[in-house]
Amino acid sequence: MEIYLPIADMSVQWIVILGMGLGVGFLSGLFGVGGGFLLTPLLVFYGIPSGVAVATTLSHITASSISGAIAQWKKHAIDFKMAGVMMVGGLAGTGVGVWLFAIMRHAGQMDLVVSLTYVPMLGIIGGIMLNESIKTLKAQARGNAPARIYPVNHVWIHGLPLKARFRQSRLYISVIPPLVIGFLVAVMSAIMGIGGGFILVPAMIYLLRMPTNVVIGTSLVQIIGVAVVTTLLQATSNYAVDIMLAAILVLGGVVGAQFGVRAGAKLRGEQLRLLLALLVLAVAARLLWGLLLPPSDVYSLAGL
Amino acid sequence: MRTVLLSTLLLVAVTAPVRGQELVSGVSQDLIQITSNYTGSDIVVFGAVEGQTQNQAPGAARKPKDVVVVVRGPDADITVRRRDRVAGIWINHDAADLSGMPSYYFLASTRPLSAIAPADVLARYGIGIQSLKPDAVHSHHDYEPFRQAALRHLEQSKLYSQVPGGVEFLSATLFRAHVPVPAGVTRGQYNVEVFLFRDKAVISAQSTPLFIDQTGLERRLYNFAHNQSFDYGLATVLMAIVMGWMSSLLFRRPV
Repeated sequence: MEIYLPIADMSVQWIVILGMGLGVGFLSGLFGVGGGFLLTPLLVFYGIPSGVAVATTLSHITASSISGAIAQWKKHAIDFKMAGVMMVGGLAGTGVGVWLFAIMRHAGQMDLVVSLTYVPMLGIIGGIMLNESIKTLKAQARGNAPARIYPVNHVWIHGLPLKARFRQSRLYISVIPPLVIGFLVAVMSAIMGIGGGFILVPAMIYLLRMPTNVVIGTSLVQIIGVAVVTTLLQATSNYAVDIMLAAILVLGGVVGAQFGVRAGAKLRGEQLRLLLALLVLAVAARLLWGLLLPPSDVYSLAGL
Repeated sequence: MRTVLLSTLLLVAVTAPVRGQELVSGVSQDLIQITSNYTGSDIVVFGAVEGQTQNQAPGAARKPKDVVVVVRGPDADITVRRRDRVAGIWINHDAADLSGMPSYYFLASTRPLSAIAPADVLARYGIGIQSLKPDAVHSHHDYEPFRQAALRHLEQSKLYSQVPGGVEFLSATLFRAHVPVPAGVTRGQYNVEVFLFRDKAVISAQSTPLFIDQTGLERRLYNFAHNQSFDYGLATVLMAIVMGWMSSLLFRRPV
């Protein structure tokens, strides 16, 4: 059955949208990723205008991050002070990101922005994941434990001023790195429709050297904060949030995530991680294809 | 159907000041409400041309009369973008803003337009898709290819159409045309224009307004998003938070 999306201004098969929400939710439950980096391009492939896809995906991210954040909060695994500092950077980043979004959308370049930012991002993530899962699978075949990566000691980070104590993370570091990380991830969030967990988590572990047990919860708080503020700004300044689309995606997302979490407890992760890596690379290839292939009609219309 | 048409026509004839005109016309519906399950509908434009009047010169009655029905939607500002290959990738490069083009245009006529009147006469009355020109153009280039692209796209999406032979005469005087109103039309005031041609010139014309409005949940959501955008954003965020929270309550993991 078709349903009309008031902001995207198009009719869609709601069952397809629900399926996308379910599928991406399942993957996020399984791997603990937000899934925005898959959902946005999928919506664009389906024909949702890039701007609406980017702005609306953040509602899906909010919903699927909430249950994770609640679970982490119960385990006292959130460094709220760190999250707060990153949020300050995040608020500035959101403002800049939404402003950039408006400029690029007005210039009719939102499709280009999505393609140009997603191709390298998905290419790198997919490549790293593929590489890691192949290594792990090989190591398992030999019977060895996979090699661990140790945090690098970044001396320059400890030389920065404005140091503060983060009790929960057992850290005494400058607030500048978390501010900058929060800012950059929020800019990406606003113009790409991603939560940015896959950037936040490694940055917090390897750059800030936060203990891994508080990283997930703290990054989820930051992601939810940025997603909520971005949704509000996109709704008020760009009118790009489609509540109908958001409702279907969120419904699919939260249900899918629960199945993903259950499946993750039973399934062997490495083969699935390999599949996810291939899926991510396929999406990147499809976007790249769209950039390189001559369009069937070079003219397009907007404003009706 | 015929009697309904005739009686409606009589009503129009009574209410509208038609004395002294050779053309009377009406529309089957003057308000169309587009609801969420709207998939398009038809309206009927009907009318009558007066028969041979007593003061007509002998032989004049032999000359064919032609009727052209034009339905024009509210004006829109259309941006046409053209992709070009820049550094190996296809990006939107040039654009033209065409303002004052109708958002919807339908034409039905008794015969092909070229047989009815010469191009300059048609252009003067805005008859025919090719005669549609923007009021103002903002473009760095010759806008003609952009205009042609806009016409082509709008014809593909059925927002512009032209049907020679779409006006049928039910009798010597009574005519009728079906006007398709597809889903996706702009809301606002439409204008139904009926032209009567004889000797390649317009001898009578009549215009009737038609209103198209969108109703239902989607319209309310659209208004909500534009008029109270902060509350709308807040509602979206709350929905996401509540659904995420509910799911963690409902599917509590047995750990």
